[in-house]
Amino acid sequence: MKAGSFFALALAASTAFAGSARAEEPFKIGVSVGLTGYAAAVDRSWRDGLDVAVDYVNAHGGVLGRKLELVVEDNKSEPQEAVTVYRKMISSDHVGIFISGCVSAGNFAAAPFVVRAKIPMMLCSILPPQPEQAAWAYSFLAPPRFEVEKRYEYLKNHTKIRTVGVLYDPSPYANFQKTLAVNAAPEFGIAVPVVEQYKQDDADFSTQISKMESADAKAVIKIGLGGSTLTTAKNIKQLGLNTLLLGSVDDLAVLKPAGDTLGSQFLFVATPSQVYDALPQGALKSEIGRFLPLWKAKQGERDPGWAGKAWDAVMVTVEAIQAAKSFDGEKIRAAVETLPPHQGTGGVYNFSPTVHQGITVNPFLLGTFEGGKVVVKD
Amino acid sequence: MTTAPILEVRGLSARYGEVVALRDAELTMREGEFVAVLGPNGAGKSTLMRSIIGLANATGTVRFRGAALKRDPAAVAAAGIALVPEGRGIFGPMSVAENLQLGAYMIGGRGPDYERRLARVLHLFPRLKERLDQVAGSMSGGEQQMLAVGRALMADPKLILLDEPSLGLAPKVTAEILESLALLNREGLSVLLVEQKAPLALKLAGRAYVVSNGRISAEIDPKEITSHGDLARYYFA
Amino acid sequence: MATSPATILRNPRQWLGQLPLAFAVAVVAYAIIDGGYIVTVVGFALIYAVFVAGLNIFMGYAGQTSFGQNAFAAIGGYASAVLTATYGWPPLAGIVAGMAGAVVCALLIGMPTLRLKGHYLAMGTLAIGLIVYEIAVEWQSVTNGYMGISGIPPLGIGSWELESDRAQLIFLAIVTALSLWATWRLRQSRFGRALVALSGSEDAARALGINVGRTKLIAFVISAMFASLAGSLLVHIVGFISPEMIGMNMVILAFTMLYVGGIGTTTGPLIGAVVIGLLPEVFRGLKDYQDLVYGTALILILIYAPGGIASLGRLAPKRRAAR
Repeated sequence: MKAGSFFALALAASTAFAGSARAEEPFKIGVSVGLTGYAAAVDRSWRDGLDVAVDYVNAHGGVLGRKLELVVEDNKSEPQEAVTVYRKMISSDHVGIFISGCVSAGNFAAAPFVVRAKIPMMLCSILPPQPEQAAWAYSFLAPPRFEVEKRYEYLKNHTKIRTVGVLYDPSPYANFQKTLAVNAAPEFGIAVPVVEQYKQDDADFSTQISKMESADAKAVIKIGLGGSTLTTAKNIKQLGLNTLLLGSVDDLAVLKPAGDTLGSQFLFVATPSQVYDALPQGALKSEIGRFLPLWKAKQGERDPGWAGKAWDAVMVTVEAIQAAKSFDGEKIRAAVETLPPHQGTGGVYNFSPTVHQGITVNPFLLGTFEGGKVVVKD
Repeated sequence: MTTAPILEVRGLSARYGEVVALRDAELTMREGEFVAVLGPNGAGKSTLMRSIIGLANATGTVRFRGAALKRDPAAVAAAGIALVPEGRGIFGPMSVAENLQLGAYMIGGRGPDYERRLARVLHLFPRLKERLDQVAGSMSGGEQQMLAVGRALMADPKLILLDEPSLGLAPKVTAEILESLALLNREGLSVLLVEQKAPLALKLAGRAYVVSNGRISAEIDPKEITSHGDLARYYFA
Repeated sequence: MATSPATILRNPRQWLGQLPLAFAVAVVAYAIIDGGYIVTVVGFALIYAVFVAGLNIFMGYAGQTSFGQNAFAAIGGYASAVLTATYGWPPLAGIVAGMAGAVVCALLIGMPTLRLKGHYLAMGTLAIGLIVYEIAVEWQSVTNGYMGISGIPPLGIGSWELESDRAQLIFLAIVTALSLWATWRLRQSRFGRALVALSGSEDAARALGINVGRTKLIAFVISAMFASLAGSLLVHIVGFISPEMIGMNMVILAFTMLYVGGIGTTTGPLIGAVVIGLLPEVFRGLKDYQDLVYGTALILILIYAPGGIASLGRLAPKRRAAR
């Protein structure tokens, strides 16, 4: 029994560390994010975006008289860890909704429990594959095909290139996009004779690029995040090719070195908030204008892309709670599906009972670097 | 002493890489004999033991009771040869009882046969009886050596090979252990004892071989060795 | 469980020796009663205890090294996932099939690999773990790559499923207890003694008639079966599997549990798994400092209990192996 009481003590100590103030009963938002591990870059932005949004909402009186409170848990980018933190947030913190990061496998692994607890999940990742789990999940990602289609559109409308190669990493998201890239190509009259995979930590993709060159592919559709884009750019330059490199949505800090290397040969899919200055006046620009100054005040020149989506997820949640006039999970979920289209920083979100990936109109732009500055090409 | 040969070693050679550790060793032992193998440190005595039981990478033939031995320690053990290795080779983390059980590994678990062997060993070394549950590694050197001999006897061998049992032990303890071996020998167990400390071995052995530089250089009758000088003659021959 | 009641009564020192085990058992009991998210934490700990119990046979008893045990967890995990989620097999059949697969693979892998010793064996087994991880990533038609396999049913027999967390935890506790009991019996057997003997000296073991190569191989196969079982349990409890779940971090975690709990002891795997599983939760409130404090706690444990927590209570080290 001594051991048992020690355990109780340890548990008490752990809750004491957490130190929650229960005076005004804030509405708790559970956040499972990979603050360490492979998802750290995106998920830290996601968490910081949530911070900005929650501060904004609380400064404006909260929702239905209650403040919002974030419960952030690091899932270390691992599914098993995600299960633990989701369970913790459900049974110990009693969160009312999840607005979780981009660790798809972690969100998939936790989905059965979350659904059983009847808690809606707003996700930065793709939707769980099981329909009964996807029923409670809402993705704030643009459909992966939009990223690919934006690039195909550009090639079709602005160049004579009709043959491309696809270069992708083995992550779930990239893999998914790769398939879409292959399937969507014919719609744009584009042929994809070469599809090559790379590993995120490989240091050279010359082999893959040469294969594309010999198949007469004049553009590389690169699918995947991080430093590999710069590696691809360098390899194209070293091989002395005039191939275009079309990168995925990524952090500007990651994209810029590739732009510096390849100049106008490098184009990338840009989120609206990345090219705020170049946007026309309108609902999109004003929503970004609401978020961006708050973001810059806290984070300076850090890329606002993912953080903006986190902001959007909070705003949709707030609207749904207001529409439902309730904090009940099932009612929030019903409200999300009947909300009018919501103009966010990352596009227009239009959820319905059948559409759980809110962005249905391509919000992306195609950018390039000119003189170190981002320029919109299309 | 005209009993049948129990061990016949013919042309046994062994090498460790480039180094020849044993060259064309010839040795014969008869049933019930107590034979000593003498020689300075590094002469090849241990290699001879290891080669006989199939642990060393050796060539040549070893016959046990007329049948050729396979170069497989398990087969050698099954045939009835037990080795008390140099440095005792007891299993320190295990209890004395478990070490003894391992000695009877070839006959499997407990049984009447096992109990009979255990009783014999504990009768021979009563000190082990008091320490059956003790971790073997926590015993004194002498007790560990008794355990090593006792463990070998648990296999109920016809021939026991002992590699330097006196190593690191007080003379009194060594004498005690060797006395018990002499007793077993009188009961019919054949003993092949490797020793650096020649006087000790010669007191018990009926016959002795001298090994130097990887060769068996001489066969001697202990009764002829009366002074230290006599032996030195063989060592450095 | 490692000591008969009679021995305990005779020797009060044994009481002290069993305190860490009592603590681990108390934690499991607490989780079953409490029912909060601690159920999940303890559930994972118990699954890891099974995995580590297998590793303990190969590393603790036989004194060998394997950095590739995650390979067999992957075989069990994916066999269970694919057979139940894709082909609709009952969970028990999936578990058995996984274990059979693990046995075959362990034999095929072990025969060449176990000729290696020391660091080479460590490297060889490490490679196996990495290769199987890569297969899990690349063989997309079966494993679905990084997307993983979801919709894996919970454990159960026939139409009766272990739906509630508590029922699952009780089941895991029983499986873990049986696993530890099995390793204990194995350690007390002729085979177990042969393992500990060859870990002390392969030559001495050979001289006693022990077939060292075959004994090691059997130990490797048995530990692979435990790993496979743990992998299957894991996917049924989580309902999902992806390569990250059976990657190198699994091996690192298991090693930590084995050394913290007490390598070569019967109860060490359970104690280590519970302590290591619980530590991050105790420190979770520290947020960014969680890993730092966790690391410090680990180092302190290993300094003050170098033989592992299971051996802490033994003031006078009369016996090492639990008997």
